[in-house]
Amino acid sequence: MSGVSETYKEISPAEFFYKYREIAGFSNPVRAVYQTVRELVENALDATDAYGILPNIKISILKADEVHDFYKITVEDNGIGIPPNIVPSAFGKVLFSSKYVMRQTRGMYGLGVKMVVLYAQMTTGRPVEVTTSRKGLKRIYHFKIRIDVAKNEPIVVEAGSWKKSREWHGTIVSVTIEGDWNRAKQRVLDYIQRTSIALPYADIVLTTPEGEIYYYQRVISDLPKPPVETKPHPLGIDLELLSNILKMHSTVIEALLNGLQSMGEVTATRILKEAGIDPSARPDSLSQDDLLRLLDKIRSYDNYRPPSPKALSPLGEEVIKAGLKKAFKPEFVEAVTRKPSSYSGHPFIVEVGIAYGGGTPLSEDKPIVLRYANKIPLLYDEGSDVITQVVREEVNWENYLVTFPAPLILMVHVCSTKVPFKGVGKESIADVPELHKEIKAGVMEVARALKLYLAKKAKEEEALKKAEAIAKYIPEVARSLAVIISSSDHEREGLRAEILNKLLYTVSKKTGVQLDVIKKIADSVEAET
Amino acid sequence: MTSSKIDLEARSKAKELIRKSFEALVNSIVSKERPLLVIPKRTLSNTIYDYKHKLLLLGPDVQKRTLLNINEAKKFTQTLLMASIIYESLVNNEYPTIRDLYYRGKHTISYRTLDGKRVSENTWDEQRESDGVIRDLEVYLGVLREELLILSKEKGKVVGNLVIRSGDDVIDLSRMGHGAYAIEPTPDLIEFIDVDAEYVLVVEKDAVFQQLHRYGFWKKYKAILVTSAGQPDRATRRFVRRLSDEYKLPVYVLTDSDPYGFYIYSVFKVGSITLSYESERLATPRAKFIGVSMTDVFGDEVFKKIVSESSARKALEEVAPGITELAPKKPYLSSSERKNFVIKAKARDLERAVELVGYRVAEVCTEDSDAKSKIKRKAGTTGYPWLLTPEWVRELCIFFNTLSKVEIEAMAGKGLRFLADEYIPAKISTGDYIE
Repeated sequence: MSGVSETYKEISPAEFFYKYREIAGFSNPVRAVYQTVRELVENALDATDAYGILPNIKISILKADEVHDFYKITVEDNGIGIPPNIVPSAFGKVLFSSKYVMRQTRGMYGLGVKMVVLYAQMTTGRPVEVTTSRKGLKRIYHFKIRIDVAKNEPIVVEAGSWKKSREWHGTIVSVTIEGDWNRAKQRVLDYIQRTSIALPYADIVLTTPEGEIYYYQRVISDLPKPPVETKPHPLGIDLELLSNILKMHSTVIEALLNGLQSMGEVTATRILKEAGIDPSARPDSLSQDDLLRLLDKIRSYDNYRPPSPKALSPLGEEVIKAGLKKAFKPEFVEAVTRKPSSYSGHPFIVEVGIAYGGGTPLSEDKPIVLRYANKIPLLYDEGSDVITQVVREEVNWENYLVTFPAPLILMVHVCSTKVPFKGVGKESIADVPELHKEIKAGVMEVARALKLYLAKKAKEEEALKKAEAIAKYIPEVARSLAVIISSSDHEREGLRAEILNKLLYTVSKKTGVQLDVIKKIADSVEAET
Repeated sequence: MTSSKIDLEARSKAKELIRKSFEALVNSIVSKERPLLVIPKRTLSNTIYDYKHKLLLLGPDVQKRTLLNINEAKKFTQTLLMASIIYESLVNNEYPTIRDLYYRGKHTISYRTLDGKRVSENTWDEQRESDGVIRDLEVYLGVLREELLILSKEKGKVVGNLVIRSGDDVIDLSRMGHGAYAIEPTPDLIEFIDVDAEYVLVVEKDAVFQQLHRYGFWKKYKAILVTSAGQPDRATRRFVRRLSDEYKLPVYVLTDSDPYGFYIYSVFKVGSITLSYESERLATPRAKFIGVSMTDVFGDEVFKKIVSESSARKALEEVAPGITELAPKKPYLSSSERKNFVIKAKARDLERAVELVGYRVAEVCTEDSDAKSKIKRKAGTTGYPWLLTPEWVRELCIFFNTLSKVEIEAMAGKGLRFLADEYIPAKISTGDYIE
């Protein structure tokens, strides 16, 4: 290393993200538009359905400059709102949360929205505008905020408030970014549409720069049960989290018992004994070596109860079915919410929905797959996702009576306190064995339901075909027999009608097809000589 | 239209039969039971040779045809449609041919499928289909189509000392000039008024019939002369049968000396393989084959040579016991005449011959290597039981060995007088025929 001199400089988290924005999904003007919409919409949803509020989300994208490709993106929700005193740091300071409780959320630590603010600042120089109010507050608060990148501090450019004229709570966030709307448009539309499929309980309106309005109306008013905050599971912690937990308690044993789930006194005592740590030691007295040893012992114990699924908020079978029905008007829909499972101390639940026929788009040789992680649609990197792998490669759809091209869509939702994403883009899920197994089991479960449906349908169709093949002859048979048997023209017509009606009845009974259907076919017969 | 009394009677009988036969079906439909037609099977496998009555008969197998089976629904409908057309023709005093019936019943049934498409199909497309349905109705009703007043082309002819009533006219069949009476398609409507004959001679070939007619053969020998002009139609067969039944006249059949000629005789005698259901009313079990036989042409020298070999003798005895004890037979042709009149058999004659008496006989008697390889195709054929008699096996054995055939005209070629005054009278008077 001689001869090379390096200068080391501390950088703020804000500066770090500013420099490495592609990590957060802002790698190009197309992706930036999509990512901005996504971050703002996900925050809006987290502020509503996680608190038992039926979401009303309005998204508007407007051209904001005559010359440049600047777009003003505004997302309004009817969520719980943000306390006015923390608005500046919520939007203007990149924070690592010291919170260690676990629950399923869409974003993590609220990092995404700050990236949006940074990106806007970097490309258009315009501040973020935030309007918010909470239930019980009498005023509505308005802010314009920038980030001081070097200091990682918010700069409040403008702040004000006014009295509420009506009861309103929620948040309106508006940013102006440079982006390539034309090329991002389809992705954004897909994203909103797919969001609406998973969230049929949300009312979503999107206005585009062209003035088009996309409205996804709420079709169901049942919200999924919101997630409950839980403590981390012993198998799911790392060194950083362990020291955070220890810091908040006065003794080590107390930290283990109160800071983790599935940890009883007998187990805690045994682990501490194995690690050679005094249970009543003060956490700050532990050395780094002690911590590492403790973590090893915690992890090597293999008899914990599995992590609590209370932190999870699956959509539920009814919501999934409602969403698929609304989007595709399929002839068959089914959904399953699997039992909770876990990997490496992280609880997860797999949900699978299936839609067949009706308005479901045709797929050429493999089903169309809609992927979701914690209620967020995943649009990019489809090929490398374990869900895609299972649905498209590991299930032989012909065994389930599907012949392609088929109007078949599979929707798979993975919810977890920690979805095992591949890479930082958070667009595809890694192949974790426990998860893989659950996805496969879920897909096969709905596929079996589809098979039953298709088998029944085929049987009914066969019966109808048979009914058709027979019923078309009834008028001719009735006419012929009436000619032979009747002794007068007068008698003939009555006899013909009687034979016809009796045959309709017999054919209906034999084929199991309703009488009026048989009659309809027979009535449609025209004999052309 | 004027209709004779006999015609009207036949009509009302046929109408009544049809009505009665479908009454049960209507009753079962009205009481919401399965609409079912039970029809005797007309398949080869259901064709049985009745040794006692020496007839081909339909076996006991039946086909059940119901509207409720998707594979039978159309046939079921066609059957009823045809029955109704025939019924209407009877009511309207018409005489449809099978072609007329085909056209009358042929129409389009068009219906709307459940997904709204209009689909059309014809009641039948080819006459083959409607003809099949007519045959089904014949066996279902147990009558011949002629009894339903369905006409077919006239083919057979007759002359002789015979007076008949056809329709309202009395016809003397001895006063037909150079022409002859064309046997009407409904021979059951013919009333025999007077017959003065000693036997019936049925001639396969129209040309030979005409020659014998002009020669005055029937007058001279008190015969009723009939020709089927090739394969006999139903009316000719029925006509001959009636003469045999009602006047106990011996019936002699004169055909070419080849497997096709032999088969024509077989049709007259026991019935046709494919239409066995008619045999009971059409076949003439007492019909005798007068000629031309292979032994008439070749004598029995050829055959004697074959059975002089012990394995051949044994094999033929197994097929037709007593074959080696047949009376000797002299030919009617000299060896030089033979040379002039004999025609070489063709491959299809060969195949036909195997069908008649079976592969075993063919194998034993054929010497020609080319012919041997041709008959191989028919290996496994067992022959018609009624032809596995010593006389017929000897005939066919000579055929296989000589691969020759002779037309009746060859006999006439020797002089019409030979045929009329020597050959036929000699064969009858000496009993030189095959039963």
